Amino acid sequence: MTQSFVLRANDRGHTVVRSEGSSAAYVAGHTPSNFVSRESSFNFHEYQSGRPGFGAIRVFGDETFHGAGCGYNMHAHHNFVICAFVLEGELTHINTAGRGTVDQLQQGDYYVFSAGSGGKHCELSIGPEDMHAIYLWLMPNKLYLPPTYHRAHFDIRTRRNRIVQLVGDGDGALPVPQDLRVSRLITDRPGAYTYTPRSAEYGTYLFVKEGQVRCGDVALGPRDSLGINGVDKIECDVADTTDVFFVETVMFDEARINAWEQEHGDHD
Amino acid sequence: MNITLKRLVCLGCGFSYDEALGLPEHGIPPGTRWTDLPEDWVCPDCGTPKSQFEMVVIGYAEGGSPLAQNA
Repeated sequence: MTQSFVLRANDRGHTVVRSEGSSAAYVAGHTPSNFVSRESSFNFHEYQSGRPGFGAIRVFGDETFHGAGCGYNMHAHHNFVICAFVLEGELTHINTAGRGTVDQLQQGDYYVFSAGSGGKHCELSIGPEDMHAIYLWLMPNKLYLPPTYHRAHFDIRTRRNRIVQLVGDGDGALPVPQDLRVSRLITDRPGAYTYTPRSAEYGTYLFVKEGQVRCGDVALGPRDSLGINGVDKIECDVADTTDVFFVETVMFDEARINAWEQEHGDHD
Repeated sequence: MNITLKRLVCLGCGFSYDEALGLPEHGIPPGTRWTDLPEDWVCPDCGTPKSQFEMVVIGYAEGGSPLAQNA
């Protein structure tokens, strides 16, 4: 059975977290010009009126760290797999996986941090430019795995006009402890593309970061997204300058998400 | 009667609570049901309320469950 939903940019959660006052321990910066703005596709922190997730995805948000020194102070995680895809600016990422890592990521760089049995991280923008990234959080396939960190670069200039896999099982993709793939398509001319999940059992969350995409009778603009499962392929026509993320995920027996869908009655 | 013991994950940080294991270091003995934790109980790592934990059916990595008990 095909199930799908469309999430428009304006229907996503919008949160601003300041670096002063009660959130000062959480958000770095300590000045009025330092704040994090967050657009969430699924429920996250203060935003709890939207969809609870999709497959193994629990968080899909684009975040901007405003002003030099802004970000998240060192804090602990377990179990979640956290991925960041840097869109603009520079992200300084520090984590305690293994012997620990200090990394600096720029446009096109991305990481997969699996917190497993316990891993802390700190996310900072230390330069003068604002830092903009997509953060993706996943449920792992096992609890309390050894914490790991992997990173790679997606060259947005040389890898245009084809769907490139960034995360999951596949040559050159970063490993992730979940039955899931992340791919990205950047185009500089109009075209027709087909995304093929491994089978119709998988769900695909398609997020338009930039540009215009038409999937069947659904037209998607910047920050619009589509979740679909029960299909063998997703055919899309894209406009000339488009940036699209595809997250193909195993679908759990999701009592929580199904209950939410029944209550809201917005699926096909 | 459903006696299956549950596992729940904090949606704020990923901390897990396992009814079979409890959290002895936090004064919660093994076998303590989620529903028997006080309503004002929060994630010991990040302070997220009980309502924002999700029940999961995910197994442990090798050697993971003793670590979870002593988290």
